[in-house]
Amino acid sequence: MSARYLLRRLAQVPVTVVAIVGLTFLLVHLAPGDPILALAGEYGDAEYYAAMRARFGLDRPLAAQLVTYATNLLQGDFGISFRLGRPALAVALERLPATLLLATAGLAVSSAVGVALGTAAGRRAGRPLDVGLRVGAVCGHATPSFWLAQLAVLTLAFGAGLFPVQGMTDARLPASSLGRMADLLHHLALPALVLAASEVALTTRLVRAGLVEAWRADYLRTARAKGLPDRRVTYHALRNVLLPVATVVGGRVGTFFTGAVLVEIVFAWPGVGRLLLTSAQTRDYPVLLAIFGIVSLGVVLANLVTDLLYGWLDPRIRYD
Amino acid sequence: MRARTAWTVVAFALVTAACQAPDEDVAPAPTATVTETETEAARGGTLVVAITADPGHLNPAITTSGGTHTASELLYNGLLAVEEEGGEPVGDLAEDWEVEEDGAVYRFTLRDGVTWHDGEPFTSADVKFSFEQVLLQYHARTKASLASVLEGIDTPDERTVVFRFNQPYAPFLLQLDVTEAPIVAEHVYAGSDPNENPANTDPVGTGPFEFVSYQEGAEIRLARNDDYFKEDLPYLDEVVMRVVPDDASALLALEDGEVDFLWGVPGPDLERIRTADEIVTGETASNPGGSNCIMTISFNLDRPVLADQRVRQAIAHALDRQRFLDQILFGQGEVAEAPISSGIAWAHADQVDLPEHDVAEAERLLDEAGWKDEGGATRVARGVEGVEDGTPLRIDFLHFPTFSKYGELVREQLGAVSIEVALRPLEPPVFAPTVFAQDDFDSNVISYCNGPDPEIGVRRMYDSAQIGDVPFTNAAHYRNPEVDALFQQAVTTIDRDERADAYRQIQEQVARDLPYVWLVETESTRAWQDRCTGFKIWTGLFAETASCRS
Repeated sequence: MSARYLLRRLAQVPVTVVAIVGLTFLLVHLAPGDPILALAGEYGDAEYYAAMRARFGLDRPLAAQLVTYATNLLQGDFGISFRLGRPALAVALERLPATLLLATAGLAVSSAVGVALGTAAGRRAGRPLDVGLRVGAVCGHATPSFWLAQLAVLTLAFGAGLFPVQGMTDARLPASSLGRMADLLHHLALPALVLAASEVALTTRLVRAGLVEAWRADYLRTARAKGLPDRRVTYHALRNVLLPVATVVGGRVGTFFTGAVLVEIVFAWPGVGRLLLTSAQTRDYPVLLAIFGIVSLGVVLANLVTDLLYGWLDPRIRYD
Repeated sequence: MRARTAWTVVAFALVTAACQAPDEDVAPAPTATVTETETEAARGGTLVVAITADPGHLNPAITTSGGTHTASELLYNGLLAVEEEGGEPVGDLAEDWEVEEDGAVYRFTLRDGVTWHDGEPFTSADVKFSFEQVLLQYHARTKASLASVLEGIDTPDERTVVFRFNQPYAPFLLQLDVTEAPIVAEHVYAGSDPNENPANTDPVGTGPFEFVSYQEGAEIRLARNDDYFKEDLPYLDEVVMRVVPDDASALLALEDGEVDFLWGVPGPDLERIRTADEIVTGETASNPGGSNCIMTISFNLDRPVLADQRVRQAIAHALDRQRFLDQILFGQGEVAEAPISSGIAWAHADQVDLPEHDVAEAERLLDEAGWKDEGGATRVARGVEGVEDGTPLRIDFLHFPTFSKYGELVREQLGAVSIEVALRPLEPPVFAPTVFAQDDFDSNVISYCNGPDPEIGVRRMYDSAQIGDVPFTNAAHYRNPEVDALFQQAVTTIDRDERADAYRQIQEQVARDLPYVWLVETESTRAWQDRCTGFKIWTGLFAETASCRS
């Protein structure tokens, strides 16, 4: 891959992000709803509404608001949150680590488990294990995450007492840093598993289908005929099978970000997903747009990384 | 552990798509009571409280948001406090007060020796600053009620504050607790924009607990204020507020012991929680976001269909309000008996004639009004003024998505008298401008919180001056000069009997005119571990006197 290609792709990133944020600016402002209500509560008077509108510039024409917003955005300024009175970007970034942790754990679990299950199913195509895994995969993918999350809380957390019911840490936490780390992992396990569940299904099916097809390919027949051990043969096959898997996983990074919303709510996980929901409910436009900015940046970068991974997974692919 | 086993069974039943009531598997538990006989309060310990919404910031003086108030009131005090639900105010930061000039002047003497959490002394200048620069600018409820009547605030010395009004102003003493008027520090906020002051997330108050940390979306940690001006208080060492947005998860966390105190229990779970081992419950009509709330149907009186009083009366007769209480609220609250909440006992008029559930009478009134049942699913107009003959009797009904069950019951009950109801669920930020600015509705349901005094939360519903685009004012567009005059009369006299008389006349009048149907007075159920006690569940200072056995 040439440096020029990489530079060109990187140059596209800010353009894409600004375009997405600009478009969503129009969408969220054109959607009905009054952000001042969240501040005034039930009892505001006309003067309060007028003062707050003027304060946030909401009394100006939409075009003028867009120009101001775009000018500020180009300087990296996402504005001040209506609800919190603090810079919107900082508000969103504060919540990012929690979501990144959850999404990364979910992504890692779903990829690892998906490849392992897919391999097991693909190598035993048509046998009971394969059938069972395929049925399981369909069920897993079809299960809504909020339902699965509540079921997991009821059974594994509340019922069996294996995991905490809510939060990222224990409210009555011992001060030792090792204890904190263990506590965090303990809280992370269940939401990550739930988030991974439907993605596992997708990866499993992809890997299985790829393996079944690869198994009939000439190069594998040759490998087997040469007397290579099964493990080596599978490894060869997997290198080819993982290409579509990487595409799908890379393409679903955005889903992991936003798909975490429901899981974050059920598990009281303090991430971006919940902030997104609150900001949408209260029409906190600056925070909403900052989140869109961050998530679109994440998705664009993930796509770039996926493209670069192709080159590594399949040396025949070249970019110029 | 028995409850846990039961829940595992329930979960299994869910998986197999079967239905099973959990009660059958739970061993009967002794019924917990709210009455607590306290001998000596335990000291120390941590109280973990679940809150449903992230507060955003911890300055209750710049907002009326229930989320912020719930999380931050323990850090602050008002001039006065509410020591029992619906009771008379008692001193908090003020130790004594006098009402002068028939209620046009209020003079407060402040407690001596009160300090802010940073050690600075609290003085009358803080009170003046809080009102003038913060509350009257940004606390929507205080601003709406006081800004036009408060003439000035004087501070003759460090311990005296005098409020001067341009007319006698009766409800003032009920507007001075930590929810309505929390006092903030002048030395912290002076010269800054109170909305963007860093102290909003690193607050300095006078309250029983001091700020330790705030992790947005996750938790707020507070520690005991060792220099609190009330002797011996508080008992707890630490209060942790956990943000748990999902009600079901919060409830499980309570049952599991991860959480000690819940602000609300969803209706369907009430019975289970009330009979659970080691959990105590208590009901209150006061919440930091609003108190004495009545679920109220508004009619758009500017629409020809609903301008006829007989139609509104028929609708009121068609509704079985007991069913709203039983089926939606699971008994949390009571059927409204008058337009003003029974929570404001002195102003609540008993024996007001509100239409009883009577389907035959509803049908008779509709017939009389010209809406004829001609055998179809919906009545049609025959000689109704302003309505073309043959027009079907069809109205829309706007509601928050969270109130969808109200919509369903209204549709079902009005359907029984052949009125067709189209439900329009709208999120709060859309609902408010649709109803109040665009006037685009036939009927809707709103939780109108009456507050501690009718002047604060009731007048806005009926005053003709409050028809306009400001949310949650006079939704019905009700205009009655007599009622306007009675409200003005009630606010300018401090004699409670005279005020009660004016409010009784108002209630009788609006009960005849029926711009609204007052369905049910709602209550919240708080729940906590029985090893903890001493909560004042009707105020934001709920944990000031709480203690927990370890």
